[in-house]
Amino acid sequence: MTDKNPCENAGGPIDIHAYLGEFDDIPGTRVYTAKRARQGYHLNQFAMSLMKAENRERWKADERAYLDEWPMTEDQKLAVLARDYNRLLDLGGNIYFLAKVFSTDGLSFLQAVSTMTGMSVEDYQAMMIAGGRSPEGQRSIKEHR
Amino acid sequence: MARITHGIACSHIPALGVASDFDKWEDPYWKPIQEGFAPTQKWEAENLPDVVILVYNDHASAFDMKIIPTFAIGCGESYKPADEGWGPREVPDVEGHPDLAWHIAQSLILDEFDMTIINEMDVDHGLTVPLSMVLGKPAKWPVKVIPLAVNVVTYPPPSGNRCWALGEAIARAVESFDEDLNVQIWGTGGMSHQLQGPRAGLINREWDNMFLDKLSGDTQELRCIPHIEYLRETGSEGIEMVMWLIMRGALGKETRELYRFYHVPASNTAVGHIVLEPVNGDVPPSTTVEGNNAEAQTLIG
Repeated sequence: MTDKNPCENAGGPIDIHAYLGEFDDIPGTRVYTAKRARQGYHLNQFAMSLMKAENRERWKADERAYLDEWPMTEDQKLAVLARDYNRLLDLGGNIYFLAKVFSTDGLSFLQAVSTMTGMSVEDYQAMMIAGGRSPEGQRSIKEHR
Repeated sequence: MARITHGIACSHIPALGVASDFDKWEDPYWKPIQEGFAPTQKWEAENLPDVVILVYNDHASAFDMKIIPTFAIGCGESYKPADEGWGPREVPDVEGHPDLAWHIAQSLILDEFDMTIINEMDVDHGLTVPLSMVLGKPAKWPVKVIPLAVNVVTYPPPSGNRCWALGEAIARAVESFDEDLNVQIWGTGGMSHQLQGPRAGLINREWDNMFLDKLSGDTQELRCIPHIEYLRETGSEGIEMVMWLIMRGALGKETRELYRFYHVPASNTAVGHIVLEPVNGDVPPSTTVEGNNAEAQTLIG
């Protein structure tokens, strides 16, 4: 007697390499994989440290000196200083951790997220009010759908 | 005996917490959302459970990258709203139900769901925003809450199938608790949204409504949706919807929709909300606890 798996015909066994490989086929998206979690560990933990008011004060007083307390790469530090969030995603940042940086800057999610799209905040907000970005053409790079 | 009476799903967008805390509901941007939740608030006041099992995800508040539990259950006496970087939300502390929570934790582990047990933590918008949306702004939350935190941030999150099965195991655990309690289970997060990269702002109204449709009835189709489909169709953060499947699994074989609300946008996100009632609350027997025998197998599916 085998366990009945309601999903046994849903796509066959999961191959971890195929599973992870598909993530690179999504346009304009960095899935937060183990590889990125390792690469961005100290970057994300730095961002997490801004949850504490006393750390926010020290950070605001001298951003570079604060960053130098963390074993981050120079690229990561420069991208933080530039608030280049797409670059930070490429360097292993996760948006919920990076949110501590833009919240400390006084930006909302909507304001910060819009900077990653190449749109102005106003255009981005107008797009959201009009129903958001359509998934058409945004699902797969290879399949153009 | 304790019983699961209803399931509720609800987005947990932080901006909704801001709208509630700063009384912005009359603002034309927020008004449709306030109107969308008003019937649920009225219904919930008339159908208050003793306990809510609240499935949510932490957003780098209680957990950072040091520890990433896939499924964690709060067994503490109470939880404070987290300071997410702009001071804690001014909402009441959340009172737990340690007796039921520990009973569920023990039952789940015997049922081979290897839970992480949390005795102390702060709870962020993932947990407190749904409370505000369904219960409004009381001086004290009128229900006890068992937080159930799911990792949907670092890949891979649990599969939809595993989440559904966890819901079934939660239903078995609740049923074997001796005290006479009405329990609701809430699944939170979603619906379609992407908060990162050039594709940010993605919304998929059609897919979201397909998902809402299939929460009702006896179909189990949703549990088989692979992660890649959530990513492609609903944006990188749409994966939170696997948490709704824990709620759905706990409601058993067949459900009926009592209420639904869908609205775009709140901030970057599609707001989704549904209230479900079990029509047939039977869940499959546990192969571990009750024995994987022929009789048990005939009851599955």
